Amino acid sequence: MSLLPRLLVMLIVLFPIAVVVVGQRHTNARDTLQAAAKRTGRWALWLAALVLTMEVLGFLFIGW
Amino acid sequence: MATRIDIDPARGLGWGTFLSGFVPGLLQLRLGQTNLALLAFGSCTALFFAGWSMVHERLFYWVLLDAGTPAGGGSSILRTLAQFGLPTVLPELMNLPANALGALLSFDASPTGERLWRMPRDGEHVGGFLTGASGMLAMFWSAAGHWELRRRRDGGATPPKPIADPALCAALSWLVPGLGHARAGQKDKGVVMGLSVAFVFALGLFFSHGHACDRATYSVWWMAQNLFGGGSLFAALVTGPWQMESAPQHLQLGVVLCTVAGLMNLVVMVDAFTVAERSAFPVKPALEDVS
Repeated sequence: MSLLPRLLVMLIVLFPIAVVVVGQRHTNARDTLQAAAKRTGRWALWLAALVLTMEVLGFLFIGW
Repeated sequence: MATRIDIDPARGLGWGTFLSGFVPGLLQLRLGQTNLALLAFGSCTALFFAGWSMVHERLFYWVLLDAGTPAGGGSSILRTLAQFGLPTVLPELMNLPANALGALLSFDASPTGERLWRMPRDGEHVGGFLTGASGMLAMFWSAAGHWELRRRRDGGATPPKPIADPALCAALSWLVPGLGHARAGQKDKGVVMGLSVAFVFALGLFFSHGHACDRATYSVWWMAQNLFGGGSLFAALVTGPWQMESAPQHLQLGVVLCTVAGLMNLVVMVDAFTVAERSAFPVKPALEDVS
């Protein structure tokens, strides 16, 4: 599977994981979903940074 | 937490209580709940042997540590322990007496015996689920005993009653993620969390064409997948018996996603337990604000 579909699956799965993780700190669905959306955004940024780093390392050590 | 002043709520109940939890009903017996103790022992044993009657020594093929002949990777110590069901067959290990008896009745270390471990059985998907479910049930009975002991220890003269039994909430969440939350009074949150688990599990089955949750093939992964009992039951009844003509392109992704769903449900189960627990022993507001 190429990088783009893998990232898409990752992004799709991140949100349900975030719901379960942040759900422990909230008592209702609305607060849980709002917090999960924020958490997913934060994780997505980290994910983008990690992927970018790996791609740069790949470019430096393996080549295009 | 609102507990007796002289008790640290974070303090455990000791090794004796912890180890007693491996024998279904022993904690209930200790609490003076004789009928519940009999029910716990009977239900776990019946469930185990209902599954064991289908799989027998096949269980030894699903262990974490290979108990086979040294040439096959196993060690003599493991083979000795295997006679008593002690290599880690999870979650059956949590139902220690039935697991040990099942091992005593079926363990055969000879080459013929080892071949039988590897031989697929009719109905092994359902059988494997049932023996696994007996271990999970034993764990929930153990959690119920631990909870009652703690309630009596920390509750003072009049122990507070929770909105629902925490162990029951965890057990309900094992079968249907979110149902435990509904029982504990957080229905909408339960629906959201439950749908999240079910969605990731379904995505795993979709990518693997239904083959991701199969104890016979991915026994170690299945240990975590089985933390979502409803999902692994569905797989045992519906998708598990499907014949795999050729490996689906994204089979590994499917296996990982189903495993992630199981681990997510572990969080859901623990949270359902905690929600019910806190209805009896609430957390101080200052701690609740931490997020």
